[in-house]
Amino acid sequence: MTGDPVSWAALAPLLALFGALVNGMFGRRLREPWPGYLASGVVVLGFVLSLLAFATFGQREVGVSVRLWEFLPVAGLDLAVGFHLDQLSLLMMLIVTGVGALIHVYSLGYMHGDGGYARYFAALNLFIAAMLVLVMADSYLLMFVGWEGVGVCSFLLIGFWYRQQRNPDAARKAFIVNRIGDTGFLLAMFLMYRTFGTLTIADVNAAATAFAFGAGALTSIGVLLMLAAAGKSAQLPLHVWLPDAMAGPTPVSALIHAATMVTAGVYLIARSAPLFAQSPDASAVVAWVGGLTALLAALVALAQTDIKRILAYSTISQLGFMFVAVGVGAYWVGIFHVLTHACFKGLLFLTSGSVIHGLGGEQDVRRMGGLRRFMPLTALTALVGTLAIAGVPLLAGFFSKDAILLHTFASTLLADHGAGVLYGVLLLSATLTAAYMGRWYLLVFEGEPRLSVEARGKVHESPRVMTVPLLVLAAASVLTGYLGLPAFAFPNWIAPWLEPATATVGFAYPPLWAEWLLIGAAVLATVIGLALAWWVYLVQRGVPVARLASGRLATFARSGAGFDALYQQAVVGPAEGTSVALAVLDRDVLDRGLAASVTTTGVLARGVMLLQTGLVRNYALAMLVGAVVLLFVVVLAGVRA
Amino acid sequence: MMSVLLVLLPLVVASVLLFTRTVRSARVIAWIGALAAFVTASLLSGSASVQIPWIPGVGAYIAFDPGQAGGVLALIASLVMLPTVLWASLRVETDTGRFLAALFAMWGGLMGLFLARDLVLFYVFWEFTLLPSLVLLGGWGLAQRRQALLKYLLYAIAGSFAMLLTVAAIRPLAGAESYLFDDLLAATANLDGLTQTWLFAGFALAFAVKLPLFPLHHWLIDFHEQNHPSGAADVAGTLYKVGGFGLFAWALPLLPEGARQAAPLLLALGAFTATYGAVIAARQHHLKRLLAYASLSHMGLVAVGLFGLHLAGLSGAMYLLGAQMVTTGGMFLLSGMLHARRGSFDTGSYGGMAASAPALAAVTLLVLFASIGVPGLANFPGEFLALLGAFQASSAAGVLAVIAVIAAGVYGVNLYQRLYQGPEPTPVADLRPLEVVVLAPIVAATLWLGLAPAPQLRTFEADATVTITQLQQAGAPPAAPPVALGEVRR
Repeated sequence: MTGDPVSWAALAPLLALFGALVNGMFGRRLREPWPGYLASGVVVLGFVLSLLAFATFGQREVGVSVRLWEFLPVAGLDLAVGFHLDQLSLLMMLIVTGVGALIHVYSLGYMHGDGGYARYFAALNLFIAAMLVLVMADSYLLMFVGWEGVGVCSFLLIGFWYRQQRNPDAARKAFIVNRIGDTGFLLAMFLMYRTFGTLTIADVNAAATAFAFGAGALTSIGVLLMLAAAGKSAQLPLHVWLPDAMAGPTPVSALIHAATMVTAGVYLIARSAPLFAQSPDASAVVAWVGGLTALLAALVALAQTDIKRILAYSTISQLGFMFVAVGVGAYWVGIFHVLTHACFKGLLFLTSGSVIHGLGGEQDVRRMGGLRRFMPLTALTALVGTLAIAGVPLLAGFFSKDAILLHTFASTLLADHGAGVLYGVLLLSATLTAAYMGRWYLLVFEGEPRLSVEARGKVHESPRVMTVPLLVLAAASVLTGYLGLPAFAFPNWIAPWLEPATATVGFAYPPLWAEWLLIGAAVLATVIGLALAWWVYLVQRGVPVARLASGRLATFARSGAGFDALYQQAVVGPAEGTSVALAVLDRDVLDRGLAASVTTTGVLARGVMLLQTGLVRNYALAMLVGAVVLLFVVVLAGVRA
Repeated sequence: MMSVLLVLLPLVVASVLLFTRTVRSARVIAWIGALAAFVTASLLSGSASVQIPWIPGVGAYIAFDPGQAGGVLALIASLVMLPTVLWASLRVETDTGRFLAALFAMWGGLMGLFLARDLVLFYVFWEFTLLPSLVLLGGWGLAQRRQALLKYLLYAIAGSFAMLLTVAAIRPLAGAESYLFDDLLAATANLDGLTQTWLFAGFALAFAVKLPLFPLHHWLIDFHEQNHPSGAADVAGTLYKVGGFGLFAWALPLLPEGARQAAPLLLALGAFTATYGAVIAARQHHLKRLLAYASLSHMGLVAVGLFGLHLAGLSGAMYLLGAQMVTTGGMFLLSGMLHARRGSFDTGSYGGMAASAPALAAVTLLVLFASIGVPGLANFPGEFLALLGAFQASSAAGVLAVIAVIAAGVYGVNLYQRLYQGPEPTPVADLRPLEVVVLAPIVAATLWLGLAPAPQLRTFEADATVTITQLQQAGAPPAAPPVALGEVRR
């Protein structure tokens, strides 16, 4: 460690790892609050270190590198366990440890009395460690260590309550779908090595900048990275694992499956910004995958009935917005939305956790309603989150979403790849976002209570240890937006902060009046969406959609637009078939067939008979004979030479 | 002389054990012997090489060099043998002394095989080590061991015969001073392409059987299924999958032209084997058969790394070979512990054991996930470099082999969940003190190899560089230059 306080942040992942080790090995011997206190403590400490590094980073042009030890020093690769702390990684560290610390504290209440209390906190700490490695890594290889590490933690936590078969199934699905994406990461690295001869992020980016604009190799690498990102960040066509992942404890959904891990794909693209800025084709793939995912998931979210699945599809959709941002080259905007989304989506998940906790496990929004009376604080914070994600002016989501819309509209990188259409897709998705979130809030907290008798007796506001994190996140859901005010009229902090760590892509910003008009359009989208939800679900009590809700379209949407069934038919079935066929081939044809043909042919059969009598002794004899033959041949040859 | 001691010590312990009457004294001798052999191995890296004339007429030497790739593998193998001996000494109930004697014979043979720098000496240890593995299967195997033994023997003899001819022919044909590696290396460069290809084919057949590669792999499956349920013999078998080492240390550097001729075919075969094994493993319900197919898949990856003929892949292949000794070996030890609890290898008779045996579950998760290549754990550095190297030679082979990574995820997660998640029929005991002691070195090595691969990789790279140099001198440039500058913008 040097005297530079920025480099001290390298301790943050080690601290979390330490917490995971202690809780993993000795947690069962500690009494209840202590594993939780330890786990929360190391993450808070990590947050303090990140904050210190952030505060002392100053106006540096390049980041601080910390090499801990050598990792793969082979074949021209000079890879270390080394961290690169710059504007981008420090901001991500703040999100991970900040939201992480709040969710650890919240979990103290949520997991109270659970049999796997220490195991839970061990896995959560391990996740923080892996996620920090992911965002701090100075090479793609080390990033991949964190990348698969968070996948393993996600697997452990989705299947945390492993006794019911449903949860392990969801965990398995998440792990395998992620591994499919991970092969994209691996192949991208192999191709980087072939093209640039290095896997260090800074070197790859520098080499990519010097490469021909739009070169095929860059496009291939970019598309493969996007495959990896689609797996981790639940984008088309690999999004299917995230809704099922809601089987995990709700704080896990908030931390891993909303605020941090699923944004790793966006981070990966932003981290590789110079490469993507050189390849409009790869960037177009990123943006279009994001745009289509945003629209599709928003549509599907409208039909969901599980309080957490609505939010899961919402996360998929919002991640789509982020991919559009980094796809059109507005890297700081993508990360800005990662930040605001981490606050309001983390908040929304925690409020839904508070609801589930208060109702004793109820998750169906059709059996909720009117909860504002019983859980005023939860309802208030949920309202803030809902309005923030819907894009109501002056809240965080408004600013970040508006920036995405503006930069899509003004894109020059994707001018030939349908940026205009993409803008329309996003505007429609934004309207739907306001509608499904309005529906979510109204069905849960407003109107007449539709609780089961059982739940009605139990309903209560959550303890302070859970509501305080809600309040903090609600405040953040308002305030973080002011870090990135529209640059044409206001001071903007985040864009110049992130620019040196990513890349600068040109945009054709419209005239001032048009920028105001775009903001007006975005606000209009929000108003239409919210008003629609208000009219349908509060004024008309859902009557206008009652027929629709039992129709075929709604059933289709509720099933996630049929992706699971399609994959079962088109991928899982054939894969299992291949596996069975190969297993049969291996046993019946290769093994029995080969053995039979060998043992039935005359000479060999007799040889086998011979061998069967005292197998080992004969073998020893055969070996001896062999050795003698060897000697003989060699000596003979030696003599002749 | 330390390296000679390392080879001799286990062999001496083995012979003493053969004449030990009581089980108790056999155990004590085995424990002391194992500890001594392990300590010798861990002090080995600093010791000097040895070269003593052996059979002057043949040009054979007793030559050991612990500073090479084999030295690293010898150390890892010893680290795995230590807990295996301890486990076997308490889990094998019939004829314990002889079982342990066979294990020590295996140990000594492996040390000789890894450290030998003379081809005749290497061949002698190669063949010698077959004996204890046969004895273990034949003496302590399950009901259908005869069939398994027969199959194993047939494959082994075919391979050995090919190797014997090659060994006999290579020195006279090349006109080398002796069978020492350095002498052979200096001479074989002069062999013409056709001769090299034939000689390489002889080596390749022997090593492909032992790797094993598809379609020569079937002995491996039955071998594991029928071995003693403690899993100790399976560990010995796992350490004995030295075909990749033979290719790396002997066939590739000595016969670069032959290697270049055969590489495309064997690269494709390796990639296919990797995916084939992993895909079939996903369907297995017998724990040991599953592990055997998984192991086959790892060996495919080793082959893929070798036949990419790239510096990264060659080094990675050896690293993976060492790492899988720990992880596959560890999984076989765990299979013995599981069998001790439920008396079955059918994964259907397990489930939900994470509740009653959380520590066992945690160790299994660690070792199993290491073996499917999760980064930060033992197999990953080798697997990554092997695939990276293969991809540089052929994108298609690289992509095919990468599918194995997905399939490994499937069988790994399936296995863990079938054993430890879901409802639990009856509770089982968590790790016992003996099991903790047995697993401790495995866990430590899994983390050590996963987190600090650099020193071992440097040793492997130094050896691999010899091969790459030979390839470059043999003619055309190797597979692909690391940096293509063609598209650099002005």
